[in-house]
Amino acid sequence: MKEDGAYAYSKKHGERKMESEPVTEHKICKTGIEELDLKLDGGIPIGNAVLMVGSSGSGKTTLSMQFLADGAKRGERGVFFTITEPLFKLTKNMENFDFYDKKLIESGMVNIIDLRIISDRLGLDTEKYTVEDASALLDVLKDIADELNVKRLVIDSITALCYRLQSKEMIRNFIFKLGASLASMDCTTILTSEVPPNEIRYSQYGIEEFIADGIICLGDVDRRGDIIRTLQIIKMRGTAHSRTKDAMSISSKNGIELAPLLKSGG
Amino acid sequence: MNIMTTAIIDGLRERMSSAISVNQSVGIILPGNNHPDLTQALFEYMYGKPETAWVYVTIAKPYGSIVKQFGDMLTGEGNIRFIDCVSRALGRYETDPNCVFIESPVQLEKMLLEIMTIFRDLKGDVQKYLVIDALSSLLLYNDVSLVAEFFTHLTNRTKLEDIHSISLSIEEEMEDDVNKILYLRSDKIIKVRESFI
Repeated sequence: MKEDGAYAYSKKHGERKMESEPVTEHKICKTGIEELDLKLDGGIPIGNAVLMVGSSGSGKTTLSMQFLADGAKRGERGVFFTITEPLFKLTKNMENFDFYDKKLIESGMVNIIDLRIISDRLGLDTEKYTVEDASALLDVLKDIADELNVKRLVIDSITALCYRLQSKEMIRNFIFKLGASLASMDCTTILTSEVPPNEIRYSQYGIEEFIADGIICLGDVDRRGDIIRTLQIIKMRGTAHSRTKDAMSISSKNGIELAPLLKSGG
Repeated sequence: MNIMTTAIIDGLRERMSSAISVNQSVGIILPGNNHPDLTQALFEYMYGKPETAWVYVTIAKPYGSIVKQFGDMLTGEGNIRFIDCVSRALGRYETDPNCVFIESPVQLEKMLLEIMTIFRDLKGDVQKYLVIDALSSLLLYNDVSLVAEFFTHLTNRTKLEDIHSISLSIEEEMEDDVNKILYLRSDKIIKVRESFI
């Protein structure tokens, strides 16, 4: 602040900042979705764990895969832990998109791992986890991420993972352990979270959001019976992000695209 | 084609040509029965300017029927790309490398995205033009306020991207609120009248 109490304006963002305010520079992890990176003021701050919330078919998996594919093209290795879809189904769906390249998988730049197979190999019941099971699984998950030196990590979905735990207390403990585990890793994470359609909530168990540095909501609006997909950034620590709601399109050519949602239409 | 129709089309083409050469956004308000003549004038104008790039958004009729009518001018590596907003809504699932099919005229944001994607993918420094045929037809599928917002957004965006636009509006379909926006946002309005022709 100047002596006369005036504020200086940042030319970059056009936002008011005090001159004495230290400028924090965050290293950015680009999502590969041009409009989303613009809304995030560059991208996701490296190391953030982002909860990607949405109902079935809202685009969580596609966005997450595009995030990994973009990272791989930038030389950042990624891993996708799936617990909802079998590997062959997942890769088959991705083949429809131009951003997906089989070579990314073959070269090991994008690794897709089925957590049910890991559970099976660990001798765990794949449908029900005890506290010890969940803890063992977390250790393996962290070991894989460390060993592969991944910079981008996706867990699809945290909801399905927690579903295998038997009590709310176990879920709470597991989520906090997961949060601590992610914080110790040097990578940017997307945790997908499934919620019922048209409900304003960020998670199934009401606790997942507390370990997240960022929340991105994928939803939809009804316009005369047509569904318009939407995306909105609710929170993202370490960046001056937009909070407006955008219309989201998924196309084989460009993957995820965003355009400002027209306000008069729902 | 009789001499009278040729004169109408020549007259329309000339007026459009002079309007779009000096104005960035042109609105054309016309009676419904003049729509076929105007589209013919437009296609002849576009066809005669192969060095320019055009995106033609059709809401009034399906791409297939445009091809049937003006096919000779649209074949090959043409300078016109189409966005068809009605065929899918009619249950027709055709594909064409020269046309992007949008699921329904309600998907206005998708329309904006596709328009901008086509222009963004253009190679070289070419003059870019957009035709909306017709803004008033969107009113059959969307609320007036939404169409007005869409058009405001579209004209602001095209001006930013240095794209010239021609927005057709059929008098019989028009609502006052959208009419106001068309007047407000267009640099030039051409009103087609039987008496003028």
